[in-house]
Amino acid sequence: MNAIETLNTIFQRVFDDDGICIRPEMTADDIDGWDSLSHVNLITTVETKFNVRFTQKELLRMKNIGNLLRTIETKIADRS
Amino acid sequence: MAFNSFSYFLFLPAVFIIYYFTKDSCRWLVLLAASIVFYAFLKVPHLIPILLLITTITYCTGIGIERSNIPKTKCYLLWGGIAANVMTLVLLKYLPFLTQNLNILIRSIASLIMSFQDKPTITYLVLNHINTAIISIGASYYIFQAISYLVDIYLGIEKAERNFGYFALYMSFFPKLLQGPIERAADLLPQLKKPYTFSYDTVRAGMLLFVWGLFKKMVIADRLALLVDPVFNNVHAYVGFPLLLATYYYALQIYFDFSGYTDMAIGTAGIFNITLTRNFNKPYFATSIADFWRRWHISFSRWILDYIFKPLQMSCRNWGTWGTATALLVTFLISGVWHGANWGFIVWGLLHGLYLACSVFYKPIQKKIHKSLGISSRSGMYKTWQVFFTFNLVCFAWIFFRANTISDALYIVGNMANSFSNVLSISYLENNIVFGKDIYEFYRLAAVFSLFMIFSNYINTITEKPAYVRWIYYNMISAAILFLGVYDDIKFIYNRF
Repeated sequence: MNAIETLNTIFQRVFDDDGICIRPEMTADDIDGWDSLSHVNLITTVETKFNVRFTQKELLRMKNIGNLLRTIETKIADRS
Repeated sequence: MAFNSFSYFLFLPAVFIIYYFTKDSCRWLVLLAASIVFYAFLKVPHLIPILLLITTITYCTGIGIERSNIPKTKCYLLWGGIAANVMTLVLLKYLPFLTQNLNILIRSIASLIMSFQDKPTITYLVLNHINTAIISIGASYYIFQAISYLVDIYLGIEKAERNFGYFALYMSFFPKLLQGPIERAADLLPQLKKPYTFSYDTVRAGMLLFVWGLFKKMVIADRLALLVDPVFNNVHAYVGFPLLLATYYYALQIYFDFSGYTDMAIGTAGIFNITLTRNFNKPYFATSIADFWRRWHISFSRWILDYIFKPLQMSCRNWGTWGTATALLVTFLISGVWHGANWGFIVWGLLHGLYLACSVFYKPIQKKIHKSLGISSRSGMYKTWQVFFTFNLVCFAWIFFRANTISDALYIVGNMANSFSNVLSISYLENNIVFGKDIYEFYRLAAVFSLFMIFSNYINTITEKPAYVRWIYYNMISAAILFLGVYDDIKFIYNRF
């Protein structure tokens, strides 16, 4: 399973919707229930699943799913 | 210079004429000079030097952050710039409050040790003269803009502005200088640089919005102020229904006052073909407190969400729901403090923080309750209940915001539910609806709200109507301002924040 597939599974679990199919340009406006509370759950789940830790700056710069995915991939690449 | 002053009615057309006949490359200079003159009209000598100081510090820090290649240096510059801005704001707004409270504390401690009760402390003697000397009008707004500008450059989502003139205009643009909207650099700076194209429709829409804001301020907000102020300035003379009604009146007054100002600001900017951020979206129709903050003072709530709440929430993300609740409480406490150095504002902010923090815990339970009782969250009846409940929570918090002291606010809370035994009669209306003013004040109030309902139905579509319908509409609004307006020089509420 690659990063985007894993991320999609996380989205489906956090937002309790198996029909979610994420795309890089999608934002919180495109997914039902993506508010500030579920955003925290999303980030902590992503951090646990990918075994990464985002910095404050990285989190504040993320504007869409594409940004989130790129940050994850960069962190995984830096680690290996 | 206030938007509803005679001098502004002369100032605005004069600036527009000069702007219109100036070539594009110098138009920013006209607006900058106009903004300085506008600010200078307040006749507070320290305001312009402080605006210049903050502008210069932020401009240089922004370029420094962008130029630096060392992450640590970028970080130090960012925090240095934020500290300079925040310290200026604290000195302007909170020094008298801090001094006063520190003084009370020192005197209490001293009186325990020795009999110092009647002797003023050194801090009081040194700093007391500052209490009346410092006025911070406008500073809270442009300092918030400055901080957002620096953070956005640090995050790499905004480029530092190299032209000091444009940057100074971004900070001081007169329609939004005194009480917002708080503009992001990405929204406003490009508009200040683009060439001006005259459009009759845009100028007309701007003028109409300005007059509509004037109507909201002079005809509705200031008329409500005539009823609200006597009650809140002497709460102990009232009991029961008048206290409750004065609270509702105040909720309406502050909305019409602030949204009226914002309409005038957006209308003024519109005349120069510049679009400012929308600040209100029917806030009293919100279905929750979170929804209220998406509709009330939008530029401010976006600011505190992006620059205070999100970083705090992410720092506390390992605490789960408690982390979000803590972030909400702290954010709204800061929001209260931002409104001014006064315990009432702090309690108001904490109340909103508490409402939101509670909703974080309640939300999952609410879903289960709805499911078990078969309540549909989309039903009209349920939405009406949500709007009613939210409005009353907001009004409860307004009591602390408006009351002159915390003890006044507590008196209102403790006595607003007493004495509901009167019947509907002329004397009842005079005593309890318009608080001792004659019955004609009640009729005037009813007329004012009826006119508002009629005018607001057409405000967005009137420009599409035939000329004779438009002119009837324009004349009716003007006549309402002339004959039903209040000319008592009542200041805009949010000017002081």
